Amino acid sequence: MLRTHNAIRILALLVLPVAASVALSAQTTASGTINATLINKSAIALVFDTDPGGVTLVGSGTGAATANFGTVSAFGPLSAGVTRPSVTAATFTVRTIFDVQVIEGGLNSTGYTLTAALQGGTPKGFNFAIDAITLTGAAQTIQANGSYNADVPHNLDLIISTASPTAGGPNTGTLTSQTINFTATAN
Amino acid sequence: MKKLTLIALAAVIMMIPALASAQVTATGTLSVTATVNGSINLIFNSDAAGVALTGSGTNAATLAFGNVSAFGAVAAGVVRTTTATTFTVSSAVDVNVSKTNSASANYTLKAQLGAADATNTWQVGGNTVTNAAAATITATGAYAANSNFPVAITVPFTTASGTVISNTINYTATAN
Repeated sequence: MLRTHNAIRILALLVLPVAASVALSAQTTASGTINATLINKSAIALVFDTDPGGVTLVGSGTGAATANFGTVSAFGPLSAGVTRPSVTAATFTVRTIFDVQVIEGGLNSTGYTLTAALQGGTPKGFNFAIDAITLTGAAQTIQANGSYNADVPHNLDLIISTASPTAGGPNTGTLTSQTINFTATAN
Repeated sequence: MKKLTLIALAAVIMMIPALASAQVTATGTLSVTATVNGSINLIFNSDAAGVALTGSGTNAATLAFGNVSAFGAVAAGVVRTTTATTFTVSSAVDVNVSKTNSASANYTLKAQLGAADATNTWQVGGNTVTNAAAATITATGAYAANSNFPVAITVPFTTASGTVISNTINYTATAN
């Protein structure tokens, strides 16, 4: 019995290296079949792109981007891509340009309507406008017949009160944030 | 069979308005950030009693006295006084400093010559200004108002006729 076991061990030791070399040299293949069902649905998608004349958007190319104006004032220097089209006794306006691209697939629509609305309350001393249309909490039409699959530039204005923080003006020296919600609807 | 066909047809007809009214939309969110800083701005304005400034309403103006002399005619807006050895010509010049997003009550105005002048004496608002250091013109300037700080040059009688006198006065307003 013991002799038989030793014979099996020797045989196993001899067989194992051979099996290993076979395993190394043989091609491993597998096959399978997927039955895929595709339902073609029409859709549009909205993305923000950095405009060459504006600030560089964080998240450019996506549907959730950030435009940072940096430090702004009525008379001081501004960041690249930010302009100051007007300064009056009551307000000053800083502007940047951003692009909206609405991508269309599977639709017969020839254009889209773009609306925008402020999310939440407006920061003290600020007003926001896109293409000179003042934004509120209700959706405002920015463009009635936008072209698909192309960057469409829009002016984003921050109209800022010149009043001091204690007189209704914006808080100074602190970062102010505001979210604008956009909706594109196929015409 | 016929009944089933009719039911299917009715279902399709009922779906048509729903399909027609469905809106295809896409949404996106743009976050906007900015930090507002207070700022002040200084401009020169022509004073009604003084020489009309070139560049009035800006922060880079020119005051041209024209031809001046101890006893001859002087241009409109130029006021002259004489002593035994010198004559002084002066003109009213308005300085207007505006502020934004600031609770500052007033401003300090300083002036300094751009280049040394060993011959003539320069004054702004009655304060002698040189290129050595900025002279305080006012420590309590009022914002958003034209404040007249006359610019005066005192010229010795020994100055040769035809001599051009030119210099730059740099003004600095600082919010208090």
